[in-house]
Amino acid sequence: MSTETGRESRRSGVLVDAMRWMENLSDTQYAYLLLIPVFVLLGVVALYPLLRTFELSLYATSLDLTGRSFVGIDNYVQLFTGGKNRFLPGGTTFIPSSLSLNALLNSALVVTIIFAVVSVAFETVIGLGQALILDQDFSGRKWVRAAIIIPWAVPIVIQGMVFFLMFNSNVGFATAPLADLGLLAPTNTLNDTASATFIIIVADIWKTSAFMALLILAGLQSIDRGLYDVAKVAGASKWQQFKLITFPLILPTIGVAVLFRSVQAMRVYGIIDTVSSCSVVPSLSCMVVATFNTREGTAAAIAFVTAAIIGVAVMGLIAWQGEDAI
Amino acid sequence: MATTTDDDNSSEGPLARWTQSAIQNPEKVYRALFYVAMVFFLVTTLFPFYWLLVLAVTPSGRLLSGSFLPSVDLFGVSATFPLPVPKGFNPEAFITVFEQVPFHLYMLNSFALAVTTTVIVIVVASLAGYVFGRLRFPGRAFLMLGILAVSYFPPAAFVIPLFQAFAGNAPITLPFTEIPLFTPPRLLNTPGSMVLPFSALFMPLSIFILTTFYGQIPDGLEDAARVEGTTRLGALFRVIMPLSAPGVATAAVLTFIAVYNEYFFSSIMATSTEAARWSPIVGGILSYQTQYTTQYNLMAAASIIGVLPVVILVIVAQERIVSGLTSGALKE
Repeated sequence: MSTETGRESRRSGVLVDAMRWMENLSDTQYAYLLLIPVFVLLGVVALYPLLRTFELSLYATSLDLTGRSFVGIDNYVQLFTGGKNRFLPGGTTFIPSSLSLNALLNSALVVTIIFAVVSVAFETVIGLGQALILDQDFSGRKWVRAAIIIPWAVPIVIQGMVFFLMFNSNVGFATAPLADLGLLAPTNTLNDTASATFIIIVADIWKTSAFMALLILAGLQSIDRGLYDVAKVAGASKWQQFKLITFPLILPTIGVAVLFRSVQAMRVYGIIDTVSSCSVVPSLSCMVVATFNTREGTAAAIAFVTAAIIGVAVMGLIAWQGEDAI
Repeated sequence: MATTTDDDNSSEGPLARWTQSAIQNPEKVYRALFYVAMVFFLVTTLFPFYWLLVLAVTPSGRLLSGSFLPSVDLFGVSATFPLPVPKGFNPEAFITVFEQVPFHLYMLNSFALAVTTTVIVIVVASLAGYVFGRLRFPGRAFLMLGILAVSYFPPAAFVIPLFQAFAGNAPITLPFTEIPLFTPPRLLNTPGSMVLPFSALFMPLSIFILTTFYGQIPDGLEDAARVEGTTRLGALFRVIMPLSAPGVATAAVLTFIAVYNEYFFSSIMATSTEAARWSPIVGGILSYQTQYTTQYNLMAAASIIGVLPVVILVIVAQERIVSGLTSGALKE
């Protein structure tokens, strides 16, 4: 360490001054100094764009796309009441115009919510099963664990390609059997909204269950193993151990994980764009991307509504979990 | 217990024997259920990769003719074999992939973007992790909450202003005023337009992982280093970070995988899908879909090649991934 001071003194005067200045800061000043890079990065890439998105949502673009005028909350009003902005590219809407299945599946808000609810429900059940297996001790566990995690690490574009190739009507082997069962459209499967939504949900379950499993595994591993020894002595069966010890103790973890995953699922975009297309399966993020070049104000309003829904969910998470969630 | 029943029922079939012993010893049933579930999960997670392989080695001429589920003769009754099998064997697709588009360059772009982002995230998150893990100051909880909130927001909420700014056509104005600040350089189709959003979005997870690790280093070690004459920053980069090497590795692996995984900004900010213009793997794989519509075997082969780096990373670094996600994921 004595060479350290030697090297220090050979540095230029400004640097030494800066070091000395830094040494004399209080903890609070030093903390804020070190956080400057984070503030700059988040300010430029998150805070500024978020404020600007809100600002843009208050303007409407003129028909010739050259100018824009202030319209206040008109874009939001039209999204929810079905004014001229209701009709977005591809014949899709923001909220359904009626209660028919067709109208529901053409609505970005409903499709996003269906996607989030159904995929997260299945991911929770499958993830719990996978977590219970990963929690056991057995030979070859390392390989089983790697195999189960791999889908989580697969790039979204490749995940999309896998399911495109599996359910595409030309080469997909899975389409015909499932079409026979009446689950999928037999031709142009990926251009049929109901079928494509089904396939996208399956694709998401395949990729994200492992992530859910890891979250639940964290809860499983925090359970005091002594409880199981006591249960065994008391003569509890494996099922009773699960029902009376494991499940109640991991329920809070599952709750947080479900909310957390739902928030993530609300921003679905990539898998839709790669397996099918945003005009077949509209989601909130899809609508933003599809419209921001032509109807900037509408796109910004949808983006801000999405952010607001997620913001409320996160507030709920924090209110429920308190400081632990931070 | 099991052996005695085996002797008693030696005249019965193996299934009946197993059932008998299972009734007397429920552990066996649980064990069997466990293996059934394990095999089920392994098959469902690995099957899509097998399907890619089937498509990739099937000669392109035979892709569209006939079924991948061959008919088999089952004791005189014809039935459909339940597992798809390749129609022929022609591994040439794995070479053609590189001849039709420079797929290796797309992968190299993805690597460069992921490595750059990881380095930025580790440096910035180290500073923040040190602050949140080791210093007490007013506003700490509030700031952590703010960083947490950013990682929850949908990328769609950021994309419109970022796209306009990176296009570099008009000056950035102060939000809610018409005051122009400066005109940014054109960043679309450069690493900047992707690395910036990636860094901001994936940084919070690293901050939380590093906060935990840095917070666990005993104060005494840092104090000793300071007494020896190192600076405050020196103590962080020469003492705290090396001692938390496992945490730093975890954060780095998770950031790398997240960037390699990313789709939203990768597809929007690289408006040109040319490899020479920094389009990552997303552009590479999609270019087989747009230019060579029917070459499904190439799409499959490219996907297998593109997935190999993360498969290797998961197998090598799985301990780090599991510990990182189980401790930090809820805080992403």
